[in-house]
Amino acid sequence: MSRVLTILVAMFTIVFLMAGGMASAYLVGGLVEEHWFTGASRLTNVLFLVLIFVMVIATLLTMAERKWSAFIQDRMGPNRARIALPGLKNRSLGGLPHILTDVLKMLTKEDLIPAAANRFMFNLGPILAFAPTFALFAVVPAGPSVQVFGRNVDMVVATPDFGALYVLAIASLAVYGTALAGWASNNKFGLLGGVRATSQMIAYEVALGLSLVGIFLTFSSVQFPAIIGDIGNALTGGTGQGRYLWRTDGAFDLGLPAWGIFIQPLGFLLFFAASFAETKRAPFDLPEGESEIIGYFVEYSGMKFGLFMISEFVEVVVLAGVTTAFFFGGYHLPFGNEWLANLPIMQEHGWLLGTILGTVFWLKVLFLIWVQLLIRWTFPRFRYDQIQSLGWKILLPLGLVNIFVTGALVLWDPSLRALAVLGIAEIGILVVLTTTTKVPAGGAHGAHAGHGHDHGHGHAHGGHGAHDLPAHAHGAAPASTH
Amino acid sequence: MNIELILFGAFALLTLLSAGTVIFARSPINSAMALVSTFFFMAGIYVLLWAHTVAVMQVLVYAGAIMVLFLFVIMLLNLGESSTRGKPTVARVAGGAATVGLFAVLAIILLKLPAEPATLSTGAQASFGTIATMGQVIFTQWLFPFEAVSLLLLVAMVGAVVVAKSRI
Repeated sequence: MSRVLTILVAMFTIVFLMAGGMASAYLVGGLVEEHWFTGASRLTNVLFLVLIFVMVIATLLTMAERKWSAFIQDRMGPNRARIALPGLKNRSLGGLPHILTDVLKMLTKEDLIPAAANRFMFNLGPILAFAPTFALFAVVPAGPSVQVFGRNVDMVVATPDFGALYVLAIASLAVYGTALAGWASNNKFGLLGGVRATSQMIAYEVALGLSLVGIFLTFSSVQFPAIIGDIGNALTGGTGQGRYLWRTDGAFDLGLPAWGIFIQPLGFLLFFAASFAETKRAPFDLPEGESEIIGYFVEYSGMKFGLFMISEFVEVVVLAGVTTAFFFGGYHLPFGNEWLANLPIMQEHGWLLGTILGTVFWLKVLFLIWVQLLIRWTFPRFRYDQIQSLGWKILLPLGLVNIFVTGALVLWDPSLRALAVLGIAEIGILVVLTTTTKVPAGGAHGAHAGHGHDHGHGHAHGGHGAHDLPAHAHGAAPASTH
Repeated sequence: MNIELILFGAFALLTLLSAGTVIFARSPINSAMALVSTFFFMAGIYVLLWAHTVAVMQVLVYAGAIMVLFLFVIMLLNLGESSTRGKPTVARVAGGAATVGLFAVLAIILLKLPAEPATLSTGAQASFGTIATMGQVIFTQWLFPFEAVSLLLLVAMVGAVVVAKSRI
């Protein structure tokens, strides 16, 4: 019972912390708009969204990943580091002090550069790996644009005209850090990791771009604010993902929102699979492959290695944020959106609405991060040829089919309802396939229970294609910890 | 001396510096990375010309995809440092002559430009260079050249597959 209580308290603490963060982001944004200059809130958004929210979540993820892997593998997880403060009763605090010890260790470790390494490129590697992932979040809106102290405050750093193309362009630059790190270390294992990373990136870059074209078609825009859309009121319906495909009449709006996941489920699966491959995490962790080549960062020590590690976690957060914005309605609630926004108190205090919807956004982000952790600790690593054939032979053709079908249906029914019917049918088929697929028990290859489980998920996640490939393909070494 | 001119000077200088590094660097990896930064600073100049869609495309396609392919090939073949000095072959002489010719043509065009060009920052419409305007122009006015170029790329791709197929 006390365990359930602890979990509940922890969850409420997280929600309260996020709501507090969003409220201060809005209020400080309003204050600087009033006292400095118009547009100053964009600067404070850099601080609040990128430096505080993304960075804190990424830092906590280093712990969450280990705890979650421990949970999946039936272990306790790290719990040795403790803070001897009175009142804490020497508790492990869910392993949180380990974050502190990690940082201390990385900062105090000797920074070693191999004698045969190219010094300039060796030092450039971690920078080039970290900077692009960090810059990615700039275009993702974390909350609606509302009136605070009579000034308009957007919860986004930048709204460029090319919107989503910025994400694709900057994300594709992250591979230079990986490739250079592998090459500059002058280590054969490092070079292998770098080459694997580049080939993987090339294979999934095209599928990544194509998977988003369906979303661009349905919302006829590439800009995040237009795709997320506005909340409607009594007179006008909402736009983008803020509107409903079908809704009940009445004060409290209930219905099927026009979220990307309902009208583009195939696009979502393709995007998630392709961008998961770009984060270089298991089952796509060939550039690292700890059990075989250690990876592109084999020669790095101290905080330079830490930069590679933290940039991977930042990528996880950014991927969750971008997926939320494109496919899970951004900061919109699934129901009661218009009712909430048109309450008198919300109309009067814009920052209150912003805080609630901003918290909704971060909760969705946390959910998608959790899904990513789940996938990362469930699947064994793919083989190299499986990675290539998945990218070129499954994701790419499916992406092209998705564009044609989406284009035809949008042309036929601009209200997107036909597309939603198809999308829900697709989701239903996936659910049926997942639940009815027979789990192959054992087998000549010594497959244990976990493998059968993977086959089920191969269907659930569409493009993974695990079912198309030989069963012994899963014989790769188990994913290891950091 | 406005901010546009200062930014142009900075981007132009950095473009020239990285382009020089592409030519003079001994190691092919250094050359490739210098080419990436050349594309990046060129994108900055495109933004100053109100062509921000072209700029982001430059980063997306050239810096983000094509140069990754270059880097992949260089790393896969493990190319070492090479000397640029050697005997003047026919290809080298022809290449040099073509470069000088191109430079001459560009210089003539540059000299024919009016001395005081109209600044785009004041004359351009708000929609100039946006992704919507560019899409409209490409798919209406310039549809045939656009499709012709994509056909050309397709032919090149099929050709590459046909050539490579016999060797694998």
